[in-house]
Amino acid sequence: MPSPFSPPNISLPLNPRPFLHLPRLAHSTPPTLPLLATCSSDKTVRIYSLTTFTLLSTITGGHKRSVRTCAWKPNLKGESVLATGSFDASVGIWRRYDTDDLNPRPVVVPVDFDARDENIDEYDEEEWRFAVVLDGHESEVKSVAWSTGGNLLATCSRDKSVWIWEEVGEDDFETIAVLQEHEGDVKCVAWHPEEELLASASYDDDVRLWKEDVDDWGCVGVLRGHDSTVWCVQWEGATPDVYGEVEGQEVKEKWMQRREASGPRLLSCSDDMSIRVWRRNPKEKVEQSRLSIIRTGSSEEDWVEETRLPVVHSRPIYSIAWSKSGRIVSTGGDGAIVVYEERWKQPNTNAENPGVGAQTEGIDKGEANGEPQTNTNGAESMEGVIGEGDATTDANGQGVTNPGHESPLQETEWVVVAQIEGAHGVFEVNHVAWAARRDKNGGVGPEQEELIITTGDDGVVKVWTLDI
Amino acid sequence: MSEILNANPTIRNASDLPSRRRLGASQSLSKTPQGLFASVVPASAYLPDPFSPHSSDSDISDEDEDEIEPIDEQEIYDLISPISDPEHPLTLGSLSVVNLPDIYLTPTFPEKGAASPLTTLTVLITPTITHCSLATVIGLGVRVRLEQALPPRFRVDVRIKEGTHSTAEQVNRQLGDKERVAAALENGTLVGVLRKMLEGCESGAV
Repeated sequence: MPSPFSPPNISLPLNPRPFLHLPRLAHSTPPTLPLLATCSSDKTVRIYSLTTFTLLSTITGGHKRSVRTCAWKPNLKGESVLATGSFDASVGIWRRYDTDDLNPRPVVVPVDFDARDENIDEYDEEEWRFAVVLDGHESEVKSVAWSTGGNLLATCSRDKSVWIWEEVGEDDFETIAVLQEHEGDVKCVAWHPEEELLASASYDDDVRLWKEDVDDWGCVGVLRGHDSTVWCVQWEGATPDVYGEVEGQEVKEKWMQRREASGPRLLSCSDDMSIRVWRRNPKEKVEQSRLSIIRTGSSEEDWVEETRLPVVHSRPIYSIAWSKSGRIVSTGGDGAIVVYEERWKQPNTNAENPGVGAQTEGIDKGEANGEPQTNTNGAESMEGVIGEGDATTDANGQGVTNPGHESPLQETEWVVVAQIEGAHGVFEVNHVAWAARRDKNGGVGPEQEELIITTGDDGVVKVWTLDI
Repeated sequence: MSEILNANPTIRNASDLPSRRRLGASQSLSKTPQGLFASVVPASAYLPDPFSPHSSDSDISDEDEDEIEPIDEQEIYDLISPISDPEHPLTLGSLSVVNLPDIYLTPTFPEKGAASPLTTLTVLITPTITHCSLATVIGLGVRVRLEQALPPRFRVDVRIKEGTHSTAEQVNRQLGDKERVAAALENGTLVGVLRKMLEGCESGAV
């Protein structure tokens, strides 16, 4: 049975699986260099080339326990900077001057946080060097994230707090906020792509939004709805991309206007096996209703659950990612990788939604070759489709999958376009990220191909191409 | 431990505990599966695991080595009943903290039948007293024992049996959080306690 997923063309071996291995990916690759960073319960961080798919460097010795998270600093030229967060409660900042030499050059960089001052001169200029350790969290650090401008770093921990650090000088970080409103472990932090607005996801089932108001950082919104731990939050890119065609320009214009007023949407996934899309209610409305409140220009944000993605996963969803082209990918404890696409909802087809056909083919036959047009004979392509019930129900829609949550204004719908089971064999998949394909054509051109990269409990990093 | 939380637990006789051995069967059960679901599980489920990196066509004839034995509830019980209670020199089996009827093996994807090798194992534990502060540690011991002894295709869910503990929901959340479990196993003190609990199990090192 062909699948739109190409088998991983590359498997990057990490190391043998220790008990409960938790390899993780950096949330992004650096914008200038085709590098990939992974971190692992073996306490190392490994840097791979996305051009040659080989291991370039292994950073060892810095963290004393599992390295749980890492993130590339954006907006840099001539240098790459990586932040790492560990179960040892510390955050490390690492630097390396960029060179054109991206040949495989596995070098182990021994680093000892406690003896860093003595060692620092010994490093090769072209190698990763340890710059700063940020101490402050009381227990395991679970996520680190750089703001879009790169001047702010957010970190979060099992100690229920979110910290915001500002880089005030080279290698000089100042704590500018310690945010403690969450009532459980904070699992993930993510910055808004255009504003200095931070989202955090927690064991307390909530997503919180944080912003600076006058001089103080504070919680400006709580997104409630998930029934269990929220594992991951991710922002939509600056420009949304809705697939397919719809009759009537007004529908598109209306949607685009609302999208523009709301800004990028927020995505969350949870132990409750749901993935939710959240949208900001534009500001004017909020301020009008709060005229009587003394504090004018309140930074409070009003967010609503816009929709939920089709339910496919049957175990906790650990990771989601929103691609530049507007697709969403999710993965988790059931070992499946699922790709979703937002499409214009077809009017006047409420009873017999033609989306079923296109959608099912996308999953089953791999024939969704970029033409998600209506297909009325969807029924015959449905045999053997995993999760068919959910997908079909959702496509037939009208609030069946999202009872009471579907906005009447909803002009679009999310459909599953690709799905693969057992992506890492029988193992759980811990993290998923998108990356631009860089091994062909130097990764340039308008039709830049997107890769999906996953890490699993098998200790392996897999790179997938999506042929739709 | 400064004080014993439950000084007089009910103890079951070793001879009263469910055991395969008393049925006269040898330890190898592969030929005569007796699990509750043995008769309904399709035979193809026992074929070499297609996801296993070691299985290939040439291995299939090699039955002695590669035959996948079905794992039933009794086998799960045998893995966890010898775990010692953290405060009594008694096993979880003899204290009825773990019980054979509270072990459930179900396909993770029932709709896929034998196409998916994933199996969800649910173990409900019954703390000796409803406010037992050690329930989390006991649950962790059970989860660790099972994760170590079973192949990775098992998804292990350890929970408190309904109505047997005052803070069951919190304990269940912690035991179900993969990341917390992983972090707990990097905690030297806790690992020491777990190691002691698992001493009575075969190859039970943490």
